[in-house]
Formats: sequence, C-alpha cells, structure tokens
Amino acid sequence: MTQILAARAGKITPEMELVAARENVDVKFILEGIASGKIVIPRNIKRKEFNYCGIGQGLRIKVNALIGTSSDIEDIGMEERKLVFVEEAGCDALMDLSTGGDIDGMRRLTLEKANIAVGSVPIYQAAIEAIERRGSIVGMTEEDMFKAVEKQAADGVDFMAIHSALNFDVIKRLQTMGRVTDVVSRGGAFLTGWMLHNNKENPLYEKFDRLLEILKKYDVTLSLGDAIRPGCTADSLDGAQIQGLIVAGELVARAQAAGVQVMVEGPGHVPMHHVEATIQLQKRLCNGAPYFILGTLATDVAPGYDHITSAIGGAIAGAVGADFLCYVTPAEHLGLPTEEDVKEGVIAARIAAHAADLARGNRPAWERDLQMAQARTSLDLNRQISLSIDPEKTRLSLGNTNAHHHCAVCGPDCAAQIAAKYFGIA
Amino acid sequence: MTQLSNALQGIISPEMAQVAAREGVTPEFIRQGVAEGTIVIPHNIQRRNIVPTGIGTGLKTKVSASIGLYGDKGSIAVEFAKIKSAVEAGTDSIMDLSVSGDIDTMRRQSLVATTTPLGTLPYYQAVAEASKKYGSSVKMTVDELFEVIERQAADGVDFLALHCGTTMSIVERAKQEGRVDPLVSYGGSHLIGWMLYNQQENPLYEYYDRILDIARKYDVTISIADGMRPGCLADSLDGAQVQELVVIGELVRRAREAGVQVMVKGPGHVPLNQLKATVTLQKSLCKGAPYFVFGPVVTDIAAGYDHISAAIGGAISAWAGADFICYVTASEHIGLPDIEQVREGVVAARIAGHAADLAKGLPGAAEWDFNLSRARKDLDWKKQIALAIDPQRAEYMRKTRSDDTVTGCAMCGKYCAMEVVSKYLGVSKLSC
Repeated sequence: MTQILAARAGKITPEMELVAARENVDVKFILEGIASGKIVIPRNIKRKEFNYCGIGQGLRIKVNALIGTSSDIEDIGMEERKLVFVEEAGCDALMDLSTGGDIDGMRRLTLEKANIAVGSVPIYQAAIEAIERRGSIVGMTEEDMFKAVEKQAADGVDFMAIHSALNFDVIKRLQTMGRVTDVVSRGGAFLTGWMLHNNKENPLYEKFDRLLEILKKYDVTLSLGDAIRPGCTADSLDGAQIQGLIVAGELVARAQAAGVQVMVEGPGHVPMHHVEATIQLQKRLCNGAPYFILGTLATDVAPGYDHITSAIGGAIAGAVGADFLCYVTPAEHLGLPTEEDVKEGVIAARIAAHAADLARGNRPAWERDLQMAQARTSLDLNRQISLSIDPEKTRLSLGNTNAHHHCAVCGPDCAAQIAAKYFGIA
Repeated sequence: MTQLSNALQGIISPEMAQVAAREGVTPEFIRQGVAEGTIVIPHNIQRRNIVPTGIGTGLKTKVSASIGLYGDKGSIAVEFAKIKSAVEAGTDSIMDLSVSGDIDTMRRQSLVATTTPLGTLPYYQAVAEASKKYGSSVKMTVDELFEVIERQAADGVDFLALHCGTTMSIVERAKQEGRVDPLVSYGGSHLIGWMLYNQQENPLYEYYDRILDIARKYDVTISIADGMRPGCLADSLDGAQVQELVVIGELVRRAREAGVQVMVKGPGHVPLNQLKATVTLQKSLCKGAPYFVFGPVVTDIAAGYDHISAAIGGAISAWAGADFICYVTASEHIGLPDIEQVREGVVAARIAGHAADLAKGLPGAAEWDFNLSRARKDLDWKKQIALAIDPQRAEYMRKTRSDDTVTGCAMCGKYCAMEVVSKYLGVSKLSC
C-alpha cells in the first residue's frame, strides 16, 4: 500500500509519524496532506528504514543534492565521499544521476550508504545502455525504458524523475515558437531526439498507466521531469514550458487517482519577476502537488557562481510556495562538481531554503535565528559556532576572536562599552 | 556649484553627460534625476581621477566594496591589494573604512589609486584620534569631530557616511522596546556611547547644517547612515529603525534644500518577506533618495556564507528599488575578508544587482543574459567565458571541472542535451 492510499484510508504509517515528529506538526496534518496530494513522503517499500522526509505544503523546505558519475569522470570513490558529505551537510534527499561506469553498482551503493531519500533518473541508464547495445539513444525501445524504471524501482529508489509530461504537442509548440536554448533537460533531450527520430509519441506519456503500475507496486514517488524547463531567462514562461506544465497537471491528476505519490519538477532559469507566477501556475495546474525546482537561477550570466544565482531564485521561490530545492553547484554549466563545489552548493541551497522558511513564518527557523542573534549580542562564541549553518567553518574563523564590545582602538573607557552598558548587554 | 544645484538650474554638467553615456540614457534623464534627488553622482570637486558614476532610480544597480585598516595588523599594502581585487571584480565604488593606523595616508593614497567614487565614515577616524588624545573617544569635542569631517572632504572623498539620524529619543526607544541587538553599527555604537556619556544630543544631528556647509563646499554626497540598522531578523522594522528613517527623511529634505546630494544607508538583517516593505518605506519617507543597502542578509545563521545570504537580500531589495548594494563578504560576522573573499563579495553583489536589473527590465540587462545563453547553446566556450560576470573564475572552473578540449562539459559528458537536441530538432547551432 502506498502512503497516499494509506492516507486516504485514514491509516497512519510509521513514515507519517516520523515526518510529523521531525516537523513538529500533528500527524493528522501529514496524513491529510498526503491524502490530498499536497505532501509526499518518498520511501520505496524495498528500501531500508532511513530518515524520511516529508515534502510539501506547510512543511520545512527540503534540499536535494545531485551526485553521480559522468562519462568523462567516473570516480565512484569521489561520488561516495560526496554522498556522505551531503548528508552530513544537512541535505534531505539526494539523486544519483550516474551516466558513466557501473551505473547499477553506483545506485546500489548509494541506496545502501545513504540514510536519506534517494532519487534517480532511469532514462539516463536506458539511453546509455541503448548506445552500448543498439548503437544510439534513438535505438532505445519502449521496453528498455520501462525495464530501467522497474529495475531501479526494485532496487529501492524512493523517487524517480521521469519525463512523462513531454509529448508532441509540447515539441510542436517549441518548434513553432522557437527558443534560445531549446531543450536543456538531459532526459528531455534524449526523449525529444527519440521521438523526432522514430516519429513516435513519448512512451512514458503514452503508456503512463504502465508506468504508474510499476511506481505503485514499490511506492516510488513520481517526480515529473521538467523536460521543457527554460534553460535561459529569455525562455522562461514561454508557450512550450506552459504547455508542458498543463500536461504535467493532467498526469498529476492521473497519478493521484491511481494512488501514486507525485511531485513536479520545475525550472531552471527564471528572472526574479517570473518566479511567483511560475510557482502559482504550477500549484494551480498541478492540484497543489509539491514543486521541486532546480534553482531557480535568477540570471544566466554567472557561470562559476550559479550556487548564488540559484540561492537568489530558490529563496524567492520557496517564499512563494516551492517545496523542494535541488541544489546547484558553482560548477553548473562548466563541468562536474568537485567535493568542494558540492559543499558550496548544499550550503547555498540550505541558506535559500532557510530564508524562505523564515519568510513563511516557520517557527523553528525563527527560533534558531533569534538564538543566533542573542549569542552574538552576548558574545557567546560557542553558541554562535553551533548555531551557524557550517559550524566547522565558523569555528575556524571565530577561534581567535576576542569577545568584548570594544575594539582594538579604545581602552577601558570605550564608547561602545558605555553604550552596551546602557542597553544592559555589557 | 554642486551637481544638484547645477541640475536644479537646468545645467547638464560634464559628469551628468558622462554618466548618461555609461548608462545609455539621455543626459536630460540624469539631470532630472539629480534635480529631483533620485539620482546622485558622488564626485568631490577636489577629486581628479574619477570616472563619474550615477546611483539611483532608472540606473544600473551599483555595488560598493569596503576595505580599510583595522587592528594592529592592518597594512596599507594589504588593503591596496583588496582594492585592486575589488576593482578587477567590477565594483562601482570603494569605501575606506579604516579605524586605526595611518588613516590619513590610507585615504589619500586610495583617492589617488582608484578611479571609482570613494566613500569614508569620518566618525571612525574621529574615534581613533580622540582615543589617542584622551584615552577615550567619549572625550572628543564637537569641533574635533567636524575638523575630521572637513579634512576628509577637503582630501576629495566623494561620499561621507554619517549617522545624522541617530537621535537620543531613538536610542531611548531602542532601549524601551528591548532590541535584541541594539549595537550593530560600529560608528553608531561609539556615537551612542558618546551621547550617553556626555548626555548630549547627537552632534551630527544637532549641527547638521555644519555638515551641509562642508558637503556643499566640496560637493560631497552625504550618505546618511543608520545607527539603528537591524542587526538580526528579529529587530527588522522595529520602532527604533523606523523612527530613525522618519528622521532621516527630514534630513534628506534639508540636504536637498541646501543643494547637497544625499543618499540613505539601509540594513542590515532583514527577513525576505520584509525587504520590499523596507525599501518602499525608505523611498516614501526619503522622497526617492537613492537607497544604499548593506546586504541585506536574509538570515542570521549563515556565518561564513553571508555573501550568499546578502546576494539573496540584495537582489530582492534592488528589484524593489534599492539602488546601491554594499557588499558583504564571506567573512562577515566571523573575521576580516581576505583578497579572495573581497573578490567573491563583489561578484555576489554584482550578481544580485544584475538579477534585479533583469527583473526590473532595465535596458541591456536581458541582452546580456540572451547573449551568454546563445553562446551556451552554440557551445561557444570562448564567448561564454568572455561574457561571464567573472571570466577569470569561469575559465578556471571550466579547465578544472571539465576536459576543456571537448565540445560539451563533464557534467553531461558524451550526453550533452544541447548537442542531442540540436541534431534532432534540425537546427544548426548558429541559427537558434
């Protein structure tokens, strides 16, 4: 039984209980959220017990990291270190996007090692195996696609990005309207190429019920891949993107009706003044399903700093209703991130999520900021260290600071010290 | 003649014309903005080697980097390396916030070495000198304070940050309402200490006309600093902050009447959902005077990463109307920035400013995004790097995170979305 079917039957699962406790909300709130499709708890029935997270309306905003090998850099050891690190750094979920080397091995290792929700994009493996076996991505068969989904689901993957919301209506609109960067989603690109070459509708759209059967069997949360997400600010909120979102909305309704947990992936490159409209449109068209966004990047011009452009977009998006932020690292658009890049990406996304939680009035978030402010006022360095987003970094810098209100310039009659006494904080 | 009095008389100064050319607007647009006080051009008449820069409504969001001698270990050479780094990273302005050491030399050499507008906070030097002379800055006389202000203006400083609005009644309000963190601004804290010790009103408020006389003489732009800027989210938009802003609004009016260019400094620590209100309030109370925000950071807990927290706040504030972003470095709250952190701080603030310009539809902003994205689609790496906000870093990362001899990048390796789609959509890479 999937979480959503349990919720509809009024049955409280251990996953719901854990999520309610972690969020400090009534478990009934979680149950109702899941039943209505506004909250998901990604947890494959085959997966071991782990730190489940609830994603959706009324909950703390969650952060996802991406790891995985690529065809150019297939260092499983480095990916394993990233995996351990992102969890320590406070990510709520991670996705293994491996496309190089032993893809099955990397996924199984990830599922074994991680104690947070694990996602994947099965079309990557299907496409790469098609190249190996059939010579090209376009030689991939429908069976290849569904087999990849089934295999990964059976392994225990908790949520899967699947680009079902891409069909010929969307592609035609893209061709008619024209775009600056066309399709930037890798899965979307594979499928677009496949569809145009074979002149066949996207099987993941056409045979959506078959997909739902597999996902339901394992309670895999469907994350509707944003095949047509804008890859530059100029393409944001264009006809193709909106068409894709309308299709996604239809598929959300079908998934929810079938008892499959579902969320929707979102952009991408979005100028700040488009963010609120983007989120509202998704919430309206997709029946309040959780929105999982990649960024959003507030400008295209900052390669090397896209963790920052994403923190800007992610914070605004979170404040207006996005539920789940996928991190973006400084290496985005330039290459495969190093461990240091991964760290920067995680922290930037967590800052964005926290800023949005504050804006949404999340009480634990406000409590933490207040404690930090009090620690600063009382010059309590240890508390400043433990409350900061990266205690280790803070410890290294604050270690040799002197804790007093006056500076190096003044003596005991320091003016700032007099002011501090007046306010009762000396 | 100040820029403001020229503008009021309908005169387009050479500085206005140069600013107009850099911004791609008409000189008349600049003149009108300066006349109305919604644009300032900080440019001391004593300054020789400056590229005039306009700050205000309808112009590109500008960025300022702060450097300065601090503590016993401060060195002019190190601070100069930071200035160089900030300028290379594209800062529009420098503030020399030296609090100790040879403050005069630092400032004078900075004025010669840079071509951006340069700002200072004279109260710091006044504190340092009074401490040396009397053992404590609370013994400083009002005349000594004004002597420092005049000295800095006469040296050619283009804008002076002064806590003119931090009056005794505001200090009392801060105490009554129980601010979490009443002492955030370094200059503000020392000023408040002086006021309390001497039981005297803030001299920068009481003798405001003296400041205006100095400012008019040299055409120094005054930047009214907020002694009550919130230092944590919980204090944002509290009574003390807002009351100070009301007072500052009155001081803005008096400056304009005196022919003195004026802008207003702002927070600080502001929750994301209060940014727009903060900027709207400043614009309303200060009659459209340029708003020079410090960050703002959107959470208190991002120590070590406050350049990112500030980029979020800066972008949203500038989108809402803030004009000038003072950078925040990664070392804010935990130490002094090194050269690399200065560079990153400037770029983070520039990203925020550009994101805002894009959201506001400022001419040219979308074009930059468009050109870079087209280069990305074309997999034209040379052009992507040249158009990047920090080409040096983009190039370095491309080299170290990818095999830069391939057409795509190591993220997707052989499976580059751009390549796959270009092939099957039948678009040649150059025609999209």
